[in-house]
Amino acid sequence: MDGIELMAGAMHAAQARLDVSAANLSNLSSAGFQRRIAHATLGERGLSVSSSIDRTQGPLERTGRVFDLATVGGTLFVRDAHGNAIPVRSASLTLDANGALLDERGRALLGASGALRASAGATIDAQGVVRDAGNVTGRLRLTPGTSVESGFLERSNVDAVHEMVDVLSAQRAFETAQKALSAIDEARAKDVNDVVRVKA
Amino acid sequence: MNRALYAAATGMAAQQQTLDVVADNLANADVTGFKRATATFASLGGDLGTAPAGVRRLFEQGKLEKSGGPFDVAIEGEGFFSVERDGRRAYTRAGAFARASDGALRDAEGWRLDGVRIPADATALDVGADGRVFVTLANRARQEAGRIRLATFAAPERLRTAGSARFAATNESGRARLVTPGAEHGPKLVFGALERANVSIVESMMAILSAQRAYEANAKGVQAADEMQRIANNLHRG
Repeated sequence: MDGIELMAGAMHAAQARLDVSAANLSNLSSAGFQRRIAHATLGERGLSVSSSIDRTQGPLERTGRVFDLATVGGTLFVRDAHGNAIPVRSASLTLDANGALLDERGRALLGASGALRASAGATIDAQGVVRDAGNVTGRLRLTPGTSVESGFLERSNVDAVHEMVDVLSAQRAFETAQKALSAIDEARAKDVNDVVRVKA
Repeated sequence: MNRALYAAATGMAAQQQTLDVVADNLANADVTGFKRATATFASLGGDLGTAPAGVRRLFEQGKLEKSGGPFDVAIEGEGFFSVERDGRRAYTRAGAFARASDGALRDAEGWRLDGVRIPADATALDVGADGRVFVTLANRARQEAGRIRLATFAAPERLRTAGSARFAATNESGRARLVTPGAEHGPKLVFGALERANVSIVESMMAILSAQRAYEANAKGVQAADEMQRIANNLHRG
């Protein structure tokens, strides 16, 4: 692998780091979003970037809506269009006219046995028990040991300052690689031209 | 393909929408019965950025405030006053009504409250927590002038906004179900009070600041992506 290819690879890697940081920054206000972390590795084919998801819990924000649910120590479940149970850590649910609780993507909240029904005046406690006017009307499906916070949403775990630093550092790395690439290119141009002149 | 540029641009658009919604909340912070809204967003997955996931109205109770109007009434708990104008029906929590020339109770924009008719010689009015309206006539006699029932919905958050503090039923909200106020666990009426907008000025200001900062951060992302593209384009000149 020569210097020019190596530096071009470094520029690609810097661009990939910026892609990850920009996507993280754009999701500062997406509830429950978990940021991705870029990892650069130097291998035989130069620098390559992969990314993984940062699973740290985002801060819980009080919203005051009974059907905004966040979880601590586990997940709750929603049912997607194919009938699969999808684990989610936080969901902002709204009632539909049939009493089902739907999240932003229209997936229904699952109870311990099948879909859950609730009414506008319902409350949900830390164990996931749904009560209406004092009577138990259902129970959320939860992973064992999960506690539910009704009236809270998990915010995005993106830290704006951290991502800004990453953006700047990716930009500088890109510039450095470009400078090095140009320097190598100039040196080669000189070599080639000088050789030609000697022969002429 | 410059993914970072587009992702950062979706982030700027999201913060712009947040600002629009907060500005609307603030503009209506003094409107009786106004319910604040909030914009929600969800990730597009991968490096693609974010997309709006809808604007949601929050029907949490506003503070009740003593008022001096002749027929001000507020709802404590769920439900809406059912009002009508020109054959159209709407639902509102703004209870600033006054006696119109036809004896009906109407708000400032002419929407008529269902179920109440005030005699011409009435000198005083009052409303019980159970919605029964009493008038005192010129001859000091007291008589019932109707009853206010409240409209409740299976899914109030799916009502359509039809004016700053008025809403209309939709298929998703379900049809209005009328309830009598004053029952245990149910809504109550408070006479001589109005419900303020449920907008907190301080929280709105904080939301503006945080949206502004997030906007700037995304703008930096756009700038960096653009700058890198410029550098890449200049490579050719060596």
